[in-house]
Amino acid sequence: MLFNYTIDGFENIQHQDYFALQQINHKLMSLYRSFGYHQISTPTFETYDLYVNEDSIPSDDLFKLVNHQGKVLVLKPDATLPVTRMAAMNHPNSQEIIKFSYETNIYRNFSSPEIIKKEITQIGIEYFGNNSPECDGEVIALAIRSLLENGINDVHIDLGHVGFINFLFDDLAFSAKEKSTLFKYIENKNIGDIADYLEKLALPDDKKAIILKLPLLYGEPKTVLKHMEALCINDKMRQVVEKISEIYAHLEVIGLAEYVSFDLGFTNQMNYYSDINFKGYINSCGEPVISGGRYNHLSEKFGIPRPACGFAIDLLKVIDYMEQHQLLPQDDQKIHVLFYENSQKSAAYKIAEQLRSKGSIAEVFLMNDAKEIHVSSLKGNALYKNATLYFLTDGKLLSETDGIFSEIKAIDSESEVA
Amino acid sequence: MIIRFALAKGRVARKAIELLIDLGYVFEDYSEKSRKLIFTDTTGTIEFFLVKSPDVPTYVEKGAADIGIVGKDVLLEHPAQVYEMLNLNIGKCKMCVAGFDNHPIPYGKKMVVGTKYPVIAKDYFHTKNQLVDIIKINGSVELAPLIGLADCIVDIVESGSTLKENGLSVLAEICEISSRLIVNQVSLKTKREMIDPIIKEFENQL
Repeated sequence: MLFNYTIDGFENIQHQDYFALQQINHKLMSLYRSFGYHQISTPTFETYDLYVNEDSIPSDDLFKLVNHQGKVLVLKPDATLPVTRMAAMNHPNSQEIIKFSYETNIYRNFSSPEIIKKEITQIGIEYFGNNSPECDGEVIALAIRSLLENGINDVHIDLGHVGFINFLFDDLAFSAKEKSTLFKYIENKNIGDIADYLEKLALPDDKKAIILKLPLLYGEPKTVLKHMEALCINDKMRQVVEKISEIYAHLEVIGLAEYVSFDLGFTNQMNYYSDINFKGYINSCGEPVISGGRYNHLSEKFGIPRPACGFAIDLLKVIDYMEQHQLLPQDDQKIHVLFYENSQKSAAYKIAEQLRSKGSIAEVFLMNDAKEIHVSSLKGNALYKNATLYFLTDGKLLSETDGIFSEIKAIDSESEVA
Repeated sequence: MIIRFALAKGRVARKAIELLIDLGYVFEDYSEKSRKLIFTDTTGTIEFFLVKSPDVPTYVEKGAADIGIVGKDVLLEHPAQVYEMLNLNIGKCKMCVAGFDNHPIPYGKKMVVGTKYPVIAKDYFHTKNQLVDIIKINGSVELAPLIGLADCIVDIVESGSTLKENGLSVLAEICEISSRLIVNQVSLKTKREMIDPIIKEFENQL
């Protein structure tokens, strides 16, 4: 006997959840397709070098293995890098517009005493070759609509821009260590510790005051924009303000602005984000379910300079939420189960085949027991909760409802309601 | 909509509840001896529950509580994805290395450290390039050096009287500790109109 066969962080998906997952997947892919995105797929393995040089994911979080040539491989820890590389390899003309969508599993070897999912099912889009606010707007709109289309109305997008802090810090000559400490505090909105830390640094008071206001740059977009304007100390920062106000104006035009608020306190966790970045939340769900942004310099590393913007949804987190709120699509298609006596075999298979050709689900079993025993054993099985039972015996076709058998002429694929 | 507080049991919770009462919230059914787990204020806008301190960041990170009040020591030992919005400056103390006065930290030689805070101890001695064996102890940490289980301890020191009574003294200070108000990252955005005033009120009380 095999015991101890579960691995922390990896889970089976039960049939109801998988059905829901496929339905949601299909719905999202048709949504993206209607906006011109083409679905693609990249390999499960990537080279270790791709991620280590990029410095976007801690090396400890990668599942590593060595192939027969001694090359170090990793289980794909993210989708954006491989999709960007694929776009660069197959579409060398950097002026082209490329819109890709994908559904994939990614793997992160999180070290934590708790059990955290290490296999994450992501669905997302990447839009290459367009640097306009309309492109950002389309990506954000699709992120919002991905949740709305699944009946989730409590959607909330937090939009930020890594440039605002970076361009400010460029003018302030911090050391790498000072920068990363301040980034960490700003990300945690830890104003108390920022103040203590700044006290030790030689910096003019007006600059310190600006840094102290960074963590508070969140909330209603128009108010935040006003505060941002007041904090700009160089042209690049002013361009950031202009850029995100343009994106917001675009979202107002297409009627999705109500779902968006700003947070300029996001720093650059995934190093490749160069511009806007955003997170999507569902109101009563404690963790973000969508993450995205613009990464204009990533493709250069594969030889083709081209701007890009995209996002990914953590699909299983969304499904967990939908399950708690009874939003999951249910599999309620009827199953026709036909039991036959050996002499009626060919008739039974013919009936089943006719049902299938009309799009119904049909199963056939040989009768080797009393009808009542077949009924009770099948009704006890959760996989057959949508089943209607028929018996082909003594040349008669019987249909079973609540333990009563009645003769019928034929099985109707549509009207037989359980 | 209701705002949920997770408070770390003990001294800090008492002070935090006092702060909430000073802010004008009334908890009719709360008394220190009460066996209830959740207390709601009379207006029904906020409620709090008491949990063991290392659980506070967990409750807040997962969104089971919107706001938590917990010591910085816990946040350093159990890092969580939360906003650390306010230093409440209550429950102040220091994270220290303590041991025998006549037996200073033997830099360069391996030593044994007993502590409730293995992560903090490991990080501190790593930055000092000090070789250490860390033994996790859950209480009465001062006992460890006395009976020879460890060369020194890493623990929070408030007045230093427990150390003194046992013939120990502070060998090095690691960092200052005080209580922090932490907020769930989603709640701050989605329940902003309720959370902002509470944070402001706390800020004004300081």
